[in-house]
Amino acid sequence: MVTNKLRVILRYIVLFCLLIIMTFPLLWMFRVALMHSGAPVGFCDIFTGVITFANFVDLFRNANIGRYLFNSILVVVIVTAANAVFCFMVAYVLARYRMLAGKLLFISVIVVLMIPAHILIVPLYVLTIKVGIYDTYWALLLPWLVNPIGIFLVKQYLESIPPDMEEAARIDGAGELVILFRIVMPLCKPALAVLAIQVFFTNWNLFLFPFILTSSESLRTLPVALAHYQGQQAIDWQHLMAGSAVAIIPVLIAFIFLQKQIVSGITAGAIKQ
Amino acid sequence: MKYIVVLFIAILSTNVTAGETLHWWQFWTDPAIKPTINSIVDEFEKANPDITVELTDLTWANGHEKIVLALASGTGPDVLELGSDWIAQFAANDHLADISKIVKDDSSEYQGWGMSTYKNNVYGFPWILGTRILFANRELLNRAGYDPDFLPVTWDDLIKAATAISALDNDIYGWGSNAAEKHRLYKKFLPFFWSAGAQIFSDDGRHCVLSSTFAVDALTAYKKLHDSCGYVANQRGIEDAFLDGKIGFIISGDWLLKRIELENRNIDLVSTLIPGPTFIGRSFMGGEFLSINKTSKQKKAAMKLIRFVASPENQVRFCKANHSANPSSIKAQKNEYFSSNVHLQTFIKQISMSDYPPVDPDWVYIEEIIEGAVEDALFGSGLIAEPLRLARDKIAKLKSK
Amino acid sequence: MKRSRLIAALLLLPWIVTFLAFWLFPLLFSLIAGFTDYSLISRTGAEWIGLDNYRQLFSDNDFLESIKNTFIFVFGTVPVTTVLALLMALFVNKRFPGRGLFRSGFFLPSITSMVVIALIFTNLYQRGGYIATLAAMAGFTPPEYGFLYSSSTALYSIMAMDIWMSVGYYMLIFLAGLESIPSELYEVARIQGASSTRQFFSITLPLLRPVALFIIVINSIKSFQIFVEIFVMTKGKFDTASMVYFIYDTGVTTAFRFGYASAAAFVLFFIVATFSAFQFFLFRRRKPLW
Repeated sequence: MVTNKLRVILRYIVLFCLLIIMTFPLLWMFRVALMHSGAPVGFCDIFTGVITFANFVDLFRNANIGRYLFNSILVVVIVTAANAVFCFMVAYVLARYRMLAGKLLFISVIVVLMIPAHILIVPLYVLTIKVGIYDTYWALLLPWLVNPIGIFLVKQYLESIPPDMEEAARIDGAGELVILFRIVMPLCKPALAVLAIQVFFTNWNLFLFPFILTSSESLRTLPVALAHYQGQQAIDWQHLMAGSAVAIIPVLIAFIFLQKQIVSGITAGAIKQ
Repeated sequence: MKYIVVLFIAILSTNVTAGETLHWWQFWTDPAIKPTINSIVDEFEKANPDITVELTDLTWANGHEKIVLALASGTGPDVLELGSDWIAQFAANDHLADISKIVKDDSSEYQGWGMSTYKNNVYGFPWILGTRILFANRELLNRAGYDPDFLPVTWDDLIKAATAISALDNDIYGWGSNAAEKHRLYKKFLPFFWSAGAQIFSDDGRHCVLSSTFAVDALTAYKKLHDSCGYVANQRGIEDAFLDGKIGFIISGDWLLKRIELENRNIDLVSTLIPGPTFIGRSFMGGEFLSINKTSKQKKAAMKLIRFVASPENQVRFCKANHSANPSSIKAQKNEYFSSNVHLQTFIKQISMSDYPPVDPDWVYIEEIIEGAVEDALFGSGLIAEPLRLARDKIAKLKSK
Repeated sequence: MKRSRLIAALLLLPWIVTFLAFWLFPLLFSLIAGFTDYSLISRTGAEWIGLDNYRQLFSDNDFLESIKNTFIFVFGTVPVTTVLALLMALFVNKRFPGRGLFRSGFFLPSITSMVVIALIFTNLYQRGGYIATLAAMAGFTPPEYGFLYSSSTALYSIMAMDIWMSVGYYMLIFLAGLESIPSELYEVARIQGASSTRQFFSITLPLLRPVALFIIVINSIKSFQIFVEIFVMTKGKFDTASMVYFIYDTGVTTAFRFGYASAAAFVLFFIVATFSAFQFFLFRRRKPLW
């Protein structure tokens, strides 16, 4: 029917307009990153003009962005793995045994969500210096190893799994730790996958704590490095956009490959609430 | 056995005298200048084998906070680079070592001591000074019909020329007007303020005279420039537009020269002294100083490092790499590098006609109040005398506490 | 039995230790600091001044302005984002070719770093920048100095950017909510002759309530704490200073008055907690509000 076809066309038009609005700023960023240093960035300039990777090469060779990329990846991988293990451990205890610690979990979620980080930053700074972990990888890792929201996720999932298998294994004489890691953990794979994705995305773009708790150049992660680039007189707009692109590309790649899981992860978290 | 013990003790004692580690926190971190800092440090370590220097980089974005946090937690460095507008605050809170006696003999060889003297004591060694001058785009001036060697001398000249340039095109502006940033606007306004003969405090320092008629004249002129032909952005945005050939006049410092060279910019650049109401005026002066932490246990070594870094030769090296125009060392200023470039010459002329803000621990707040008044005149109420008067009252209240 | 207690304790240990050290300790430190005149720059120790900080806060113009700005931000972005996210979810809900592409494209902005987005938009909002040019084409006169340097548009520009960035994320959550509604309900309603609008208001909306509540609560909490955009784009000028920006400016920079800023932070926390609790209460009523 004609009206049906019209509807379909109209729908696609609206969708395309929305798509352009939603992606244009990022496309613009990539375009500018591929321009020559110092080139004008006017309205039509992004359509004309050369495409060059010079800015990227420059950043990797002279501005050490490779190191910052490495740091970001290293931190995210370790934090994600740690969260998977530690959150699981806590979730197991809280799911299987009623404890006072359950209340503590609730408090910790509130603290992490509702207290502005800038207030925590000052005492944290003093703490890391006194304990001696200021300006070390520990300062980048330790505050993030156990995310209470992650604990919640796994705990919800575990509560829907009956403890039959564990009971059976216990009767068979298996040790607690074996039960935990060999039997229960594999059962939680979906929840852990969701957790991993959440942690990855939260941690990749983390800025404030790494910025304040480190000072050596060799410890910078990408968001921190970008802030430093911005503060310097000598980095121009094109290089800055190239740096931003480097910060986005791993996330993009992860997104393309893990789209389904990411989506189900976010929605799982929301629905369970 | 005996030999082993002796050897052991020998090793231990060499460790003990193996040397001190000096911590130096400094702000020159971009790839153009950092190598120079590194090599200066390397040379110092070679000349002083018992001292190791640990460098920490600070950014202008958060360096001030980091220093304060470090001093607050007792983990500050031995040597700190401080901006001239911070020294009074740190000195008043007893964080800096009084180096008055140590530098008595250096005072005639360096310039800028006034900015690091608080309550008659010296707390910082002047290193690299800086002032602001007026830059112009010669091509735009030509297009606006001016002679090829025209330079504005009075406010009227400047306003007329800027307005003429603005009229050239929709996309072209006569004047760069700072906004949306801290610690910038006052450095652009104070030159007008001081050129008009205004002062923040009376000569005896006891009264705030921010709202004098001179100040009203200055703000009126500044506002006229902004209203009639101002390109409003933060410093970075203004510089970008100026280098793109879109602005006629901006006030800026010597880092602009560095940007032009590093980015290979093509701009027909002209520099001149800051104009005043009836003749050339006075500009803003600041500087980077090297101070010693009061709690440092290695003040002697710290002073050695400071003297080395601030030596005339090393200052020349630094200025060449960084395109800085105003070394504090009088001997360095005579180096032929500075007469090689006409713009550097403008900076050198200007600094002898510059003032610096009062060395006051509350300067950071006073500066904020002044900026607020200017912002109100430009973007808010649009009045001139009223915001100045309110600011004056706020400052007086602040100082009376 | 004792052994399992020990194991339980060990399992909880990493969490308890990191939480106590890196979150609870700083929190208590700040809570106490809020009752003192602790200043980061002063050499002298902090003195207990009781509720003085709190008293001073409520006669501090800058603080009150920041509360106003923050509320404008929250009330401006949360409803708009929620409604837009719902609309987009409805639009993308049916299966059609290319659905995945559009869904991903809409979601893309929300996985990008806030700093990067703020930098990009600073350029786009400039006088003569893309958005100003488009606005001019559409017949609006953009503000003289660009959208960010005018008190009448600065905050709203930042709000628009924030909505742009987060709408994709919430759209996905709504999508999941939509998918969890059993299609039989719609079948039954259709057979009984209900129009699609009726179906929407009687089936879809009520069943989406828990999801909507989740979105609104999370979005509000995040919006109350807005900081990065303001720091990068306007440094709090032109009436954009949010409460967290005030806290940062007063406590960690310029004034270094950490005790004062901590008090402000707890005022913010109180507001956020109360607001969230109120939202839960409002949405938990037996009778749907719509």
